Amino acid sequence: MSFVDNVMAGLALVANIESFLALFIGVAVGTVAGAIPGMSATMAVALTLPFTFAMAPITGILLLLGVYKGGIFGGSIPAILIRTPGTPASSATILDGYPLAEKGQAGKALGMALWASCTADLISNLSLILFAGWLASFALSFGPPEFFTLILFSLTIIAGVSGDSLLRGALSALLGLMLATIGLDLIYGTNRFTFGSPTLMGGLNFIAVLIGLFALPEIIAMVWNPKAHEGKTRTLGKNWVTFADYKASFRTIVRGSFIGVFLGSIPGIGAAPAAFLSYSEARRKSPNKANFGKGELEGVAAAEAGNNGVAGATLIPLLALGVPGDVITAIILGAFMIHGLQPGPIMFVMNADIIYGLFIGLIVSSVFLFIIGTVAIKGFKYVADIPRGVLFPAVMVLCIYGVFAVNNNLFDVGVMFVMGGVGYLMMRYKVPSAPFLIAFILGPLLEDNFRQAMLMSNSSPAILFRGPITWFFWLLTAITVFAIARAGFKTIRNARAADAEAEEIQ
Amino acid sequence: MTLRKIAAVSAVALGLSATMALAEYPERAINMIIPFSAGGATDISARAISGSLGEAVGKPLVMTNVAGAGGATGSVAVMNAKPDGYTMLFARVGSHTVSPAMKATLPYTLDDFRFVTVYEINPVACAVTPASGIKSMDELIAKVKEGNASFSSSGVGTLLHLAAVMVLNEFGVENANTAATHIPQKGGGEAATAVLNGTVTFVCTNSSALANFVANGQLVPLMVTTAEPVVGFDAPTSADLGKPNLEQLVGWTGIAGPADLPDDISAKWGGWIGTATQDPKFAATMESLGSVLVSMTPEESSAFIQTQYETFRALVDQLGMRVEG
Repeated sequence: MSFVDNVMAGLALVANIESFLALFIGVAVGTVAGAIPGMSATMAVALTLPFTFAMAPITGILLLLGVYKGGIFGGSIPAILIRTPGTPASSATILDGYPLAEKGQAGKALGMALWASCTADLISNLSLILFAGWLASFALSFGPPEFFTLILFSLTIIAGVSGDSLLRGALSALLGLMLATIGLDLIYGTNRFTFGSPTLMGGLNFIAVLIGLFALPEIIAMVWNPKAHEGKTRTLGKNWVTFADYKASFRTIVRGSFIGVFLGSIPGIGAAPAAFLSYSEARRKSPNKANFGKGELEGVAAAEAGNNGVAGATLIPLLALGVPGDVITAIILGAFMIHGLQPGPIMFVMNADIIYGLFIGLIVSSVFLFIIGTVAIKGFKYVADIPRGVLFPAVMVLCIYGVFAVNNNLFDVGVMFVMGGVGYLMMRYKVPSAPFLIAFILGPLLEDNFRQAMLMSNSSPAILFRGPITWFFWLLTAITVFAIARAGFKTIRNARAADAEAEEIQ
Repeated sequence: MTLRKIAAVSAVALGLSATMALAEYPERAINMIIPFSAGGATDISARAISGSLGEAVGKPLVMTNVAGAGGATGSVAVMNAKPDGYTMLFARVGSHTVSPAMKATLPYTLDDFRFVTVYEINPVACAVTPASGIKSMDELIAKVKEGNASFSSSGVGTLLHLAAVMVLNEFGVENANTAATHIPQKGGGEAATAVLNGTVTFVCTNSSALANFVANGQLVPLMVTTAEPVVGFDAPTSADLGKPNLEQLVGWTGIAGPADLPDDISAKWGGWIGTATQDPKFAATMESLGSVLVSMTPEESSAFIQTQYETFRALVDQLGMRVEG
């Protein structure tokens, strides 16, 4: 069958009210679920799955994909408005989104998040359609040594999100790495730092740590000093993002989208590191470097482009190889199997109509995301106008409920409160919390892949230099570390020069 | 009111409430704990049966994921629950036979639960990539004996870990737990991917996790552990290869309550499961996922689980694989 035949067959499959309705409902449900802290996109997709059992295959899968895409965008809404990431993927959005909301530009930040999300979504879907075969073969060449070098490189993001002091950023990252060691050791299966408690065997719950670290410090700060914000007006975010804003961030959005596509097509990385990597790249390249972290619109665009760029690309290994890249695609794989479909090379031949039907549905989903996102923002942005005395207690309740709901485990709520205390102390002593989070996500990946690589090679470190991919990332890491060091020395030299000048004047 | 009247009334009331409690279980919704996170194999299986099972029970089933520590967190929650039949657990091979056999530090044992049914069996299959050039179990065993083979699992003390070791042991490999390098992965999906991208030589896991790759010709199945061949798997059964002991090596999902669950409640569950597994829609869903539907009575399921546990435990003790720390 030719390409046109395939597209027509696909169109015949999806061009009905039922499919589009499913997709629309999916995006709407996902956006709302993503906007609820603790209700991650993963949970939303998992809870939708049983409803698809009785549907036609394509309708059911479009519903799930809609929830997925809606969920990843929806997470940015509370991230911007109440400094609480709705899903782990949106934690990078907080860095500039919340300061913008503080400045009374919540509407602008939300608008940019939506536009960046939709653009990235479209780029991601097009990459899936055009490069699936090529990127998929690439994905399979990533074994533990390649992962190790990729993650080692990704750790350099820490420098990009440390703010003014690299030392404080490193301290924060160290803390994150340490806390990530709690739980079962992957290779030996022994307990680490669990103090004999079964609740600690699974490690600290990621969402509990995330919400504790970001949302609670603001609330504690307000309890500590309830009058601090008086006099500061946090007026209605009526201002909407302009086309000029979008154009100014366009390069960043495209770059972020491709970072998302690249990381998304490799199974096992996920959306949060992509968002952070995109953010740190945007900061490195931007002329407004100093404004990042203080309310820079481009930062929001970068983060959201990064995490939404992943959403379409995770389907590349799923459809082309049958390999699920994360939990969400694993659930979608389950949905395929329940309908007797087996994603993989054969599916492109046997069920080409379904594949092309999905492609068409995905393109339409970007449009739906834009429509639903606009409506959602119109509704949600008034949250920015609620007086803090009313808003913060409500946020607190949401956080506790959300964290409890992840595993229905009260211990997780305790973890959230402790991390809230840690986050508050970090905030008071100006230790940035983003490096903590990155280290907490990447640390275990780095360790596991390193040890898996060592098992593969009988402990010979030479395996870490096998093949061009590892060399590429080693090189990239070396260049980045060199650039960071040079920038550091420059700052010190400039500071000394400034001191010397000041002395001369005296 | 005389004393006698009061006594009579209370006796009647007591009798009534007693018979009501007996006759009307369940009189409210039943809390069903899934000890794994949403979207996993246990979760999908549990949610698939909840429809027809809920109809058989006649009261709503509240499905709750209490995930963490390989199923231990949720299992402990049910172990400590009141044995009134209103808190039940979806038990799984990993959390209820493999972990108890392998982990010394597990906060529960099999005796802490009363199993009321096993409703799903998952055949186990071993597979390699076509690129490895291995075409039969004998060739795989030969490669393992040469000393340069490795296998993946979803973690230490999981079914996948034990399965590979048990298979090697049955095929006469000495020190089966160290003969091939064990490279644990984060989950079942990752374990299959590790074979696919050449990180390890082989994996033994539930056939459903491999069905997709086998159908697409990305992986070659070498053996399945059920007595009957598995649809879509062009591979001999363990009995064909003269290793009928491996038929013990299957995945399963069942339902359990706390150890002190009364007999009548347990019997009721046996009946409900019988009805629920007859539902053609549920059967179709499970079969498309590669499961074999069964409907074990409480006695059968306890015996089945106990036997599997003892088989695993004997192997673990023989090879010194128990994880103590």
